[in-house]
Amino acid sequence: MSTIPPTQAQQNAWKKSPDSELYINPLPVRIWHWLNAVGFVALILTGIQIRYANMFNVLSFETAIKTHNWVAFTVIANYFVWLGFYLFSDRITVYHPELNPRKFFDKAFKQFMYYSYGIFKGEPSPHKVLAYDKFNPMQSITYQIVMLLVVPVQFITGIMMWDIKRFEGPIAMLGGIHTVDTVHVLIFIFFVSFTLVHAYMGALGHTPSAHFKEMFTGYEEAEEKSDQ
Amino acid sequence: MNTKLQVLVIDDDAVVGRSFDRVLSDKGYQVSTALSGEEAMETIRETDFDVVFTDIKMPGMDGLEVAERIKARCPWTPVVVITGYGTPDNEAQASVLGVSGFVHKPLTPEIIESVTLKAVKEAEVILEAAEPCETQEVIAKTVSKAGVHSKAGLIAKNVGLFFAAPFVALAYVIALPFVGFYMFAKLGREAYVKKHLSK
Ligand code: HEM
Repeated sequence: MSTIPPTQAQQNAWKKSPDSELYINPLPVRIWHWLNAVGFVALILTGIQIRYANMFNVLSFETAIKTHNWVAFTVIANYFVWLGFYLFSDRITVYHPELNPRKFFDKAFKQFMYYSYGIFKGEPSPHKVLAYDKFNPMQSITYQIVMLLVVPVQFITGIMMWDIKRFEGPIAMLGGIHTVDTVHVLIFIFFVSFTLVHAYMGALGHTPSAHFKEMFTGYEEAEEKSDQ
Repeated sequence: MNTKLQVLVIDDDAVVGRSFDRVLSDKGYQVSTALSGEEAMETIRETDFDVVFTDIKMPGMDGLEVAERIKARCPWTPVVVITGYGTPDNEAQASVLGVSGFVHKPLTPEIIESVTLKAVKEAEVILEAAEPCETQEVIAKTVSKAGVHSKAGLIAKNVGLFFAAPFVALAYVIALPFVGFYMFAKLGREAYVKKHLSK
């Protein structure tokens, strides 16, 4: 391709222009995300105390349950901040599926090869972040499944166990309290590993802190800027 | 809901597409990118674009061919050709194809914004002055955007896709080990063939 290298003046214009940063995480998403993250950590810790009451004794059983319930209702309410934002924003496209399987697998494979190989050689990520297409295929399917399937199921099973009497009918329909509890605990285990992997992957931007900053400021950390 | 002006940028250098997205995404445009003419042709099938930018020199299908095909498919879509330094021959050829303009690299945010605005404005003028039959075509185009027939339909489609997403994703996850195995096998075969042939 015939490209004249940009002059120094043009490069500077690029870097200084406020337009040269891409707004990827709108305010409601950022507020939801960090409140949610704190909430999840609290739920995991109180959850461990409830489940393994005989192994740990940081909180009394009653306090652990009370805290778990209160935090849970906050996290559920907060979920609707996220859901409402996406349902009423044209950024809903960020959560749309890739309906062409060939394209999906092709991109997913490239992304996988990048995480397992290219990244260690300092290659750039094959996915280019765009405002309406910000997730790579692996992020995309993970967040879709987590936010629209796993999180709601965790909420529903949790609410059922919060008031077993009131939800007697639905619990019986799902195969009894034992099934509901098992599902809740399995998803709990999933979330412990998800949170760890997710936080690790969050550090895989072009600098370790890049994605974290993005979730605070909303703006993509442009790669050109890191060398300034 | 999704009433933004759709911009397609075709360039084998991914940086160019990203630059357009950075400049235009906050200003009421939705930018899609394609790294080749072939990819662009697939994208065009799914979305009607309000403006298309294409690099002139690309491996495979070049910018002129892209412009020609887009013009053949939707003559009202403004196509702006991105060129390197003075390539008058190509420009003459492109003018014959009826492209809306040229923009020369390197591109600054100001250039990107003004060229886009100009292309959109010119297209509007043409559409406003158009004969009724063409206007009908335009209405048909607007209505058929995203394949739905009203704003409510568009919202329903957006929300439908949103809630369908985790199930599509689950299907992909289930298929992943099989497809992944196939892809690794293909990669291995290619490496083997390459080594074999180089001997
Ligand atoms: C414990 C600490 C956590 C850290 C440090 C963290 C970090 C991050 C970072 C850096 C991003 C931006 C990069 C990206 O888009 O992938 C992100 C996005 C995201 N995180 Fe987390 N996260 C945490 C917990 C959680 C939890 C518990 C959940 C869900 C249950 C979660 C769900 C998400 C989702 C859905 C996104 C994408 C948001 C959107 O744009 O819609 N995170 N996280």
